Amino acid sequence: MQLKIKIMKNILFIFTLFLSFNLFAQDPPQADSLVVYKKRVLETTELDFLMSYYTQDGKNAAVSGGIGTEELQDITPTIIVSMPLNDDDVLTVDAGISAYTSASSSNINPFDSKNPDAFQASTGASSGDVWANVVLSYSHSSDDRNKIYSGKLSVASEYDYFSVGLGGTYTQLFNQKNTELSLSGNVYIDKWNAIYPYELRPFDSGGPGLNSSLFLVNQISGNVNYAPDFKAFDSENRNSYSFGASFSQILSKRLQGLIVTDVVYQSGLLSTPFQRVYFADVANSYIDGFQLADNNEQLPDQRFKLAIGGRLNYYVNERIVLRSFYRYYRDDWGINSHTTSLEVPVKISQRITLYPSYRYYFQSAADYFAGYEQHLSTEKYYTSDYDLSEYNANQYGFGIEYTDILTSKKIGKLALKSIHLKYNYYERNSGFKANLIAGGVKFIIDK
Amino acid sequence: MKKHWLGLIIAIALLSSCTVVKEYEKVNLNDPDMALTTKKSDRFETNFQSYREAATGANGGKTGGGCGCN
Repeated sequence: MQLKIKIMKNILFIFTLFLSFNLFAQDPPQADSLVVYKKRVLETTELDFLMSYYTQDGKNAAVSGGIGTEELQDITPTIIVSMPLNDDDVLTVDAGISAYTSASSSNINPFDSKNPDAFQASTGASSGDVWANVVLSYSHSSDDRNKIYSGKLSVASEYDYFSVGLGGTYTQLFNQKNTELSLSGNVYIDKWNAIYPYELRPFDSGGPGLNSSLFLVNQISGNVNYAPDFKAFDSENRNSYSFGASFSQILSKRLQGLIVTDVVYQSGLLSTPFQRVYFADVANSYIDGFQLADNNEQLPDQRFKLAIGGRLNYYVNERIVLRSFYRYYRDDWGINSHTTSLEVPVKISQRITLYPSYRYYFQSAADYFAGYEQHLSTEKYYTSDYDLSEYNANQYGFGIEYTDILTSKKIGKLALKSIHLKYNYYERNSGFKANLIAGGVKFIIDK
Repeated sequence: MKKHWLGLIIAIALLSSCTVVKEYEKVNLNDPDMALTTKKSDRFETNFQSYREAATGANGGKTGGGCGCN
C-alpha cells in the first residue's frame, strides 16, 4: 500500500512538472488562438477493413498446470468507419470478431477424448469460441484545434466473459502545436461466466465428489483417493480502472518524442478459473494419461500496475524514418518488465514503404508463479500460467504498405487510400512461439 | 527507482526547452511514419502482446477489459 501511495505521489509530482513546464513555455495567447482558416478535422468518411491470422504453440499450457500444448489459431476480421459529423466532430465505429480454436482450452474437459492427454487437443465445446467487440468513439476539436475532447464506449463478449468499457480523453496542444498534453481515464466493468476444470466441478460444496459420473465411467489411477480442496469463486466480477497521461514534444524539424504513463487498478476475479495447478505435496491422480487437477489457479483479487513509456521518432531523410519505443512496467504482483522496439520505415518509391521491425521484451516472474508440481498446497496464492513466469522474448517483423495519397483507384464510391500487410514472428526463451499475419485496406468515400 | 524518476524529469526539462517549429516547417514531422501514436494496423500486434505478456499500458493498447486468457 505504501508503494502505491509513493507511486501515486510521484505521478502527481510529474504531472505538476508537465503543467508548469508547459505554462512557462506557452506563446502569447493570441498567437495560437487566431483562427485564420478552419480545416475540417476529417475531410471525408474513411473505411478500414482489417484482418489478422495468429498462431501460437508451446509446451507450458496454463490450462493443464504448466505442461501441455499451447496450440492456438485465431482469425480476427475488423471494420473501422470514421465519419465526420461536421467540421469539428468525428464519430468512429470499430467492430470486430475474433474466432479461435485452442488445443489448450479444449483441455478444460479432456475426458471427451478417447486418450486424454495434456499435449493433445480435445474435441469438446471449449476447443473454440468467438469473441465479438464494438467500440464507439466520439471526438470534438475546438475551433483553434488546440483542444480535443473524446469519449468511447466499448462492449466485448465471448462465451465465458463479458466486458463493458467507458473512457474519455482530454488533449491540449501548446506552443504552436509543438507540445501536446493528454489526460485519459478508462473504466472496464467485466463479468466472468466461470468455467472450471471438468474434474474439479464435482468437488464444489454440495457436489457429488467421487460419485460423479466422470469417476464412475472412468477409472482413477495413481492416488485413487482423489479429493481436491476445490471451491468455486464467490464473485465473478472484474473491474479495471486506468488513468493515463502523455506528453509529446517536437524537438526539431526532424525529431519528436513522447512520454506516456498508465496507472491501472484492477479488482475482483483476477484468476482464470479454468487454469489448473498441480501441487508437489499432493499425490498424483490420473484418468488415462491425464493428470487430475489439485486445484485451479488462485490469485489476489487486487492488482496495481504502473507503466511508463517513451517514443522517439527521427526523420533521417525522405526515404528513412526511425521509430523507437521503450517501456518500463511494474506491478504489485512482483512483475518488473522492460520493452524496447525499433521500426525503420523505408520508402522504396513514392507509394511503397517497407517496415522492418524488432522488439525485445523481458519480464520477471510474478510472486505467485511456479511451474508444474512446484507449488505447495499450503500456499495462499498459486498459478502455473507461464505468461506470469520470467522470460524474455524477441519479435521480428516485416511489413509493406502501398499508399496512394491521390486516391486514384476507385471501386464505385470507394477510393483506395492504402493497403498494408505485416508478418511478425515472436519467440520466447521458454520455447513458446507465435506468428502473426495482419493486413488491411483503407478506403475513403468519394464526395 | 529514484534514478528512473530523475532521468524522466531531466528528459521533460530538455523537451520543454526546445525551439518552436513553425507550421510551415513541419513537412517532415507530418510524414505519417513520424506519428507518435500507434497505427491502426498495429492493433493486432499490440493485442496479442497484451494477452500473452504481463506488461500492459504506455503503448497505445488497452489497459483492461476483456479476458484474452486462451
